Amino acid sequence: MQEILRKKKTEYRYVGKPVRRVDGYKKVTGRAVYTVDVDLPGMLHGKILRSPHPHAIIKSIDTSKAERLPGVKAIITGKDTEGVRFGFVETPHMPADMPPLAEDRVRYVGEAVAAVAATSEKVAVKAINLIEVEYEPLKAVFHPEEAMKPEAPAIHDVIYPSGRSFWQEWGVERDSTPQKVERNIASTLKLEIGDVEEGFGNADHVKEGRFETNVTAHGALEPHGAVARYSEGRLDVWLSHMGPYMKRYWLARTMGLPESHVRVRPAFVGGAFGGKIDLFDYEYIASHLSRLTGRPVKIVLTRREVFQATRLRHPMIFYIKTGVKKDGRITAMDIKAIDDTGAYRGTGPVVVYLAHAFSIPIYRIPNLRYTGYAVYTNNPVRVAMRGHGAPQARFAVEQQIDEIAEEAGLDPYEIRMINARERGDVLPNGDVLNSCGLKEALTRAVEDGKFLQKYGKHRGKGRGVGIGLTSMFSGAQFYPFGATGVVLLHDDGGATVFTGAIEFGQGSDTMMCQIVAEELGIDMERVSILSGDSELCPIALDNWLSGGTFVNGRAVQLAAIDARNKLFEYAAELLGVSRDELQAEDNVIYSADNPSKRIPHEKVVKYAIHRNRGQQIVGVGHATPVEGAYWYPSLTTGKGRFTGAYSFSATFAEVEVDFETGVVKVVRIINAHDCGYPINPVLVEGQAEGQGYMGMGQVLFEEVIEEKGTILNPNFLDYLMPTSIDVPEMKTIHIETHDPNGPFGGKEVGEGVIAGVVSAIANAIYDATGVRFRKLPILPSDILDALEGRE
Amino acid sequence: MKEHSVEIVVNGERHHLTVGSEMTLLEVLRDRLGLKGVKEGCSKGECGACTVLVDGRPVNSCLLLAVEADGKEIITIEGVERDGQLNPIQEEFIEHGAVQCGFCTPGMIISAKYLIENNPDPSEEEIREAISGNLCRCTGYVRIISAIKSAVDKYSMR
Repeated sequence: MQEILRKKKTEYRYVGKPVRRVDGYKKVTGRAVYTVDVDLPGMLHGKILRSPHPHAIIKSIDTSKAERLPGVKAIITGKDTEGVRFGFVETPHMPADMPPLAEDRVRYVGEAVAAVAATSEKVAVKAINLIEVEYEPLKAVFHPEEAMKPEAPAIHDVIYPSGRSFWQEWGVERDSTPQKVERNIASTLKLEIGDVEEGFGNADHVKEGRFETNVTAHGALEPHGAVARYSEGRLDVWLSHMGPYMKRYWLARTMGLPESHVRVRPAFVGGAFGGKIDLFDYEYIASHLSRLTGRPVKIVLTRREVFQATRLRHPMIFYIKTGVKKDGRITAMDIKAIDDTGAYRGTGPVVVYLAHAFSIPIYRIPNLRYTGYAVYTNNPVRVAMRGHGAPQARFAVEQQIDEIAEEAGLDPYEIRMINARERGDVLPNGDVLNSCGLKEALTRAVEDGKFLQKYGKHRGKGRGVGIGLTSMFSGAQFYPFGATGVVLLHDDGGATVFTGAIEFGQGSDTMMCQIVAEELGIDMERVSILSGDSELCPIALDNWLSGGTFVNGRAVQLAAIDARNKLFEYAAELLGVSRDELQAEDNVIYSADNPSKRIPHEKVVKYAIHRNRGQQIVGVGHATPVEGAYWYPSLTTGKGRFTGAYSFSATFAEVEVDFETGVVKVVRIINAHDCGYPINPVLVEGQAEGQGYMGMGQVLFEEVIEEKGTILNPNFLDYLMPTSIDVPEMKTIHIETHDPNGPFGGKEVGEGVIAGVVSAIANAIYDATGVRFRKLPILPSDILDALEGRE
Repeated sequence: MKEHSVEIVVNGERHHLTVGSEMTLLEVLRDRLGLKGVKEGCSKGECGACTVLVDGRPVNSCLLLAVEADGKEIITIEGVERDGQLNPIQEEFIEHGAVQCGFCTPGMIISAKYLIENNPDPSEEEIREAISGNLCRCTGYVRIISAIKSAVDKYSMR
């Protein structure tokens, strides 16, 4: 850390500035190449036949007619991929459960049953329509609480390991065991801190409630797609995704290749929001078909497939009981969470953990019991979506906090200030809040929105205000457990950054270039970046782990510092001064003690190369989310260090409710967000605004409607996302807390804010209507029903 | 399937093509002419990512058959930049941080271009209306709206 602090400046040139994004030009001119734009010579097109049944035995598959269709080059079914399994979660006790193609049974509508590679997309579509599948439908279950009943149909029986689990690969030497699934429960998390019964015994007010959240869709504008090229035992893939390393790991394992023989190539990504993490059936299928045909294979999903057959946000049910003293101190909380994870495990065990883990940094709760179940149903599979468990949990908890505050005669601001955590707090799992701007964020949001002046003033009269708090991690101990950054200096004094961190719109590339230009003291135009190439870049946390800045950014910062230190060795030699007195700025290295002693970077790099006969200056840096911790926390006990820094935010929302139509209009959203230090304020604000918009959608419009496992609104006409007309005024207040372990003090910003937005709007709707809505979304019809006293 | 011969002018360049009767303008632009800047997000005219100007009017190119485009003049995102100079809308999109993943950006810029060139002084409501057929899932639209406002000022100074 001393190395980082050595460069002390009151004013930075690039860091902390609203620098233009480095990929802006390509994106506004149509030059940015996305996976869907990649065409290769000789390329075939793949299509997947998907199950129309939520649960059925596959009795037979007849591909003969399709095989005879001119232009068809290969057809595969579950028989060709027997035994291949993958999954987001794989522990020694939870083997990967998902096949790329169904073998004897389909478990959800949209499950892949057969696939075709053909000379054109049209031929491929024709071919899959010629494949005849005979199904024998089975009893299915679509609600997690139904699925947990003993009489419910069993969706999985015993899940057998398909090889060494990834935990074994990564050093946890525990043998994998088959998982016998009981009552469709994919995983259970149980933990208790303190004595919950005693805590409730000491409470003056106790509140209980059931809350339910909605299935939403990521809605990334670029549909999911893959281009795979298998040749000479090596696989090249272009994917629309969020991090090359999970993809590479699973492609290597499922294809039976060494990691170094799988190359995830960089491509621009048209939005992800958590929905492009997992290995997908089509990614494996494209690779397999390419190996089979010896030609590149491209598969782009239709929008309907993206909805039905990729992944959705986990809908969760919470039973919550909270106890507080008269003075507002929380004495106990008891939470039971039930997650409908769909037909395969997806991220179920993780979302159940995260709904807890993203909550625990917010309030001091001396006695806490948390029980969470991820439950299989015959619905489409769920995965992370922005906030991953946090919007679900905050919707429930933040509303119950308001309810109990009202009962105790406290206002929502007061009760939060009484219970909110502060810097220095140590969480039950051992995580330390080295920076925490939660109370400041809350106070700033409340002041800026004039919350206290407005709250309760128009209760039940159609205008209301609400607040919600949230926290989020900044990278966790999951493969590859950290990041390495490399900075290479060129003859002209310019630099190239190499990082495995992927740019999917959030601005990762820009942030990296800012950091490197700042640390090297060169113009940002002289910095270029190569990111997200699994072969040419050093490893980094996949960016769905929210460690883009805190971990990956820091690795790159340390690499730049390493390069600078090496540069300074030579500069010191050339200038005849000590290395320690050197500074770098505006492409010149100079002595701080005697600024007339100066030399341009270019001359120093050239000298270094010539003197060392081609030994280029290469800076290397490494960072890990939590020093001294090696594994992800336990998904069954919640024990173990999780992250090195939490970010915090408080949202203020103001709404108007039309009692004639039930329509809610969000008037204003203010997000006060502690990301430590905004390395690029425009990018940070862009993240906050995007989440304001998305959170508003989740509360007021968005709902994937599943009817016996079939999505009734798998398109943008029927799945309503807010448009330019709907978005309210949004404001971001930066709370700077300078985390000691983040690059320039920076930490997470990409996914926490949404949870505060969801809960603030829900609370504001209560203030406006006087009715508490405990189920998402809150539609105009729900509001009218409630106002008219209907169930 | 019946083949038709069509003539279209794309970004100032004349093309004579033989197309199938089911082929959309989007397919022609992306697959035949290699204009991959025109994006396909939904194939049903719901997202606006494939918006292009056809005889000066914004159209979802996934909904227009290639034969319907016969004799028409088309501008795609690739034709917005002139002589290596970005259009003010493109400039302001970068400047205001109106671009994140960038997938909606080409269609969004085309819709904004139509607005500004046909309404030199649009109100905020008119700006919101003009891009309401272009979905963006990243930005929450606020920076897109402010970028278009700035571009309006720059246009008026041109």
